[in-house]
Amino acid sequence: MAKQLGFYLDVNSCLGCGACIKACANNNRLPSSLKWRQLRQVDELNYDSGQVARFYLSTACNHCANPECMRVCPSGAYAKRRDGIVLHFPDKCTACRSCIASCPFSAPQYNPSTGKASKCQLCYERLDKGNLPYCVQGCLTGALQLREMSHNPADNLLRLTAPLPTLRLTKPSTFYKTPRKTTFL
Amino acid sequence: MAETHYHICPRNCYDTCSIISTTYKGRLIAIEGNPAQAYTKGKLCAKVMDEIHKVYSPQRVKYPLRQRKRFSGQWERISWEEALTIISEQILAIKDSYGTTLPIAHNKYSGNFGILHNALEAFMTGLGPTTRAVGSPCWSAGVEAQAYDMGAFFCSDPLDMEGSKLIWIWGANPAWNAVHQMPIIFRAMERGAKVVCFDTHFSATAARVHEFVQVKPGTDGLLALGIAKVLVEQGLVAPDIEEYSLGHEQFITYLKENIDLQECAEVTGVALDAIKKLAMDYGTIKPACIWVGFGLQRYSNGGQNLRAIDALGALTGNIGIPGGGVQYGHFESWRYAGPLAHDRLGHPQDRQLDINQFAPLARKAEPPIKMLWLASRNPLQQDGNQEEWRELLKTLSLIVVSDLFHTSTSACADIFLPVTTHYEHWDLNSSYWHYYVGINEPAIEPVGEARSDLQIAWDLSKRLNELRPGTSAFPTEGSEQEAVWQALGPEMLELLGIDSPKELLKGPRRVNFPATAWQDRKFRTPSGKYEFYSARAAEQGLPALPIYKPPLKPPADTPLRRLTPHHYARLNSQAYAVAAEDNEGGNYGSLIYKARINPATAQAYGLKSGDKAFLWNRGGSLPVIIELEQSIGQDVVIIYQENLTNPKGLYLNQLNLGVLTDMGKFATGAYGLALNETFVGIRKEV
Repeated sequence: MAKQLGFYLDVNSCLGCGACIKACANNNRLPSSLKWRQLRQVDELNYDSGQVARFYLSTACNHCANPECMRVCPSGAYAKRRDGIVLHFPDKCTACRSCIASCPFSAPQYNPSTGKASKCQLCYERLDKGNLPYCVQGCLTGALQLREMSHNPADNLLRLTAPLPTLRLTKPSTFYKTPRKTTFL
Repeated sequence: MAETHYHICPRNCYDTCSIISTTYKGRLIAIEGNPAQAYTKGKLCAKVMDEIHKVYSPQRVKYPLRQRKRFSGQWERISWEEALTIISEQILAIKDSYGTTLPIAHNKYSGNFGILHNALEAFMTGLGPTTRAVGSPCWSAGVEAQAYDMGAFFCSDPLDMEGSKLIWIWGANPAWNAVHQMPIIFRAMERGAKVVCFDTHFSATAARVHEFVQVKPGTDGLLALGIAKVLVEQGLVAPDIEEYSLGHEQFITYLKENIDLQECAEVTGVALDAIKKLAMDYGTIKPACIWVGFGLQRYSNGGQNLRAIDALGALTGNIGIPGGGVQYGHFESWRYAGPLAHDRLGHPQDRQLDINQFAPLARKAEPPIKMLWLASRNPLQQDGNQEEWRELLKTLSLIVVSDLFHTSTSACADIFLPVTTHYEHWDLNSSYWHYYVGINEPAIEPVGEARSDLQIAWDLSKRLNELRPGTSAFPTEGSEQEAVWQALGPEMLELLGIDSPKELLKGPRRVNFPATAWQDRKFRTPSGKYEFYSARAAEQGLPALPIYKPPLKPPADTPLRRLTPHHYARLNSQAYAVAAEDNEGGNYGSLIYKARINPATAQAYGLKSGDKAFLWNRGGSLPVIIELEQSIGQDVVIIYQENLTNPKGLYLNQLNLGVLTDMGKFATGAYGLALNETFVGIRKEV
């Protein structure tokens, strides 16, 4: 079976500190309106139970096993590498925005400074030199990691990022560890 | 060829990170955390990641500027020669008119904590007696509380926390504001430690730990006293308490006679069962570490809150043991030498004005203040008493601001002096939390015509003495690097375990204190013991024992307590989003603050999520957008300190009426600012 690299996030040690977001945006020199990696706070506040889960989801392109962006792109601007990274080639992109409209995770975004679609490329040039992606490198606690995905079970937290049927369809290569709850004393 | 240099992040932050920069052909191209420094461990926070852009930002002020009319925004570029001449002539005119240099005032705080940033204070000392802002807006009450209890504030090496079995994070949010401590806490958790967070609201830190205790704002001291009472009732007091402490009998009597647990539960909002459970944990799990943040001492009873928490550590014998302690901060690795050392900065006849009452005190000063130099701070946005500031400005004949960017404060300046970043000058930094000390090297030439604080001090001294020889006793030239060597005197070299200051060029070093503070239990109090009963506190008109003092009650018309905790992307009003701002043509993005309130509070005011509203009190009116959060108390409004960098924007502290803390004067020269005693009403925008 081919390799499939992807992101692993241990939400129990993610601080929501924004370091991964900044590391990505700065090093990839993204315009301020564009963020390949985003941060969301998810609250499951059920006070009656005395247990509360609040966690931060740091999300980027999920480098799906069956990438919808690649399927819908009419100009062949997407490709999937042997290691599973889904690449977008701006020079082939005609800015038709099909990928932007179809990705269940809103990973491809319009880049106003190039006039094309754009998304996380999993820092493939760094990976090829044996370095970690900027976001993983920047993570202060090791919560965000790069992993070979094939051994990870699909996790229910992915449901938070997209409707369930599309998950089965695109098979995102991202794994979130189950959050631990905080007890309210 | 690419070169690397060492830097220290100089901001007012626990972490004081060791940074390695890479330059190529004289231009900064990358920065990273230093992997060899055991606290930074190769990682930097989100606040710092924009720095290269910040250094080269088009928004940065790169030349001396003059503003013909204050607040006009009509700046004109002038030469350093002109700027220094204007300042020098003002100084000479003041000397001639008043026969003293006291009308010259300097107001500086923590924009950059590097020791070479003390240059202007040393320059002023060379002029004669001047007026200085003294104290701190931040941590004064807590510093003084620990001075009464232990003789000084002195925390363990933060790496010591990894060995704790029970960690209480009380009034701190390290997940956002001391991020390098979190891996240490996580390692302790992996080794089986239980971690509890105490705060007024469910913070990012609370979300990552085992238990959360929501304390009503300002009642932390009472909660600690309630826990202390249970410890006493359950016989969990350290058997050897007599040996290392003074006054525990009086304290225990106070607990027995004055603390009612039922009342404690009602006032603090923490259930009686929870108080008992907390006490049982703290009394039986050893070692137990309490990390007290700055938040809970920003009240009119802030010092008492901290003394009550300290008492828990002393009662159970946790102070002085590895993995234990009540950790607040320290200044122990700041024992610098030479003319820029902190303890040599003042002139014996200086007029010292409390930094938190600077404007009102300055207005009453006689002889009056005529020239004001503001550096490393932004008081026209961050201070309380803004009305007093506006009045003070009218009476001044010259205002000088030295900074990197325009701020709310620079808007009032007559002269703006552009300064260098920590990538452009030599410096020397210690942390008030971890035990590392490091040299900051320049990696690039100053951008534009920016000059370091020390260079400005030399140049001004030179210009003054050209105009009137003998006016300034401060040197007129020198080497920044030499100033670093001078600051590293024999005491620091011994602490750092090196023979020559140059050895510190190889990277930051840890001072050689034992990892555990007070491990010999020889305290620096008059008795040499931990003082539950502090005669020195009594001498200052304070309670001798840690007792409960309630925080302020809100006025009837402004019933909500406003809290303004730090946000992960910002440190007060310092510019961290310049990259985004530059990209947006300097329009600073979305400017409206998010006011987070409980859904029940919103209902009472007829508000829903996303509504526009105003927070108001007699300081003014602040537009906000309402966000609902169930975990926030019904009498509290929380605004994280976002969106503070726009000099033209509205700012949070216009609603801060300048309430002071109970302690701080004795230990730091001035009371602290009780920021969390700010009360507001909400009005829906119609």
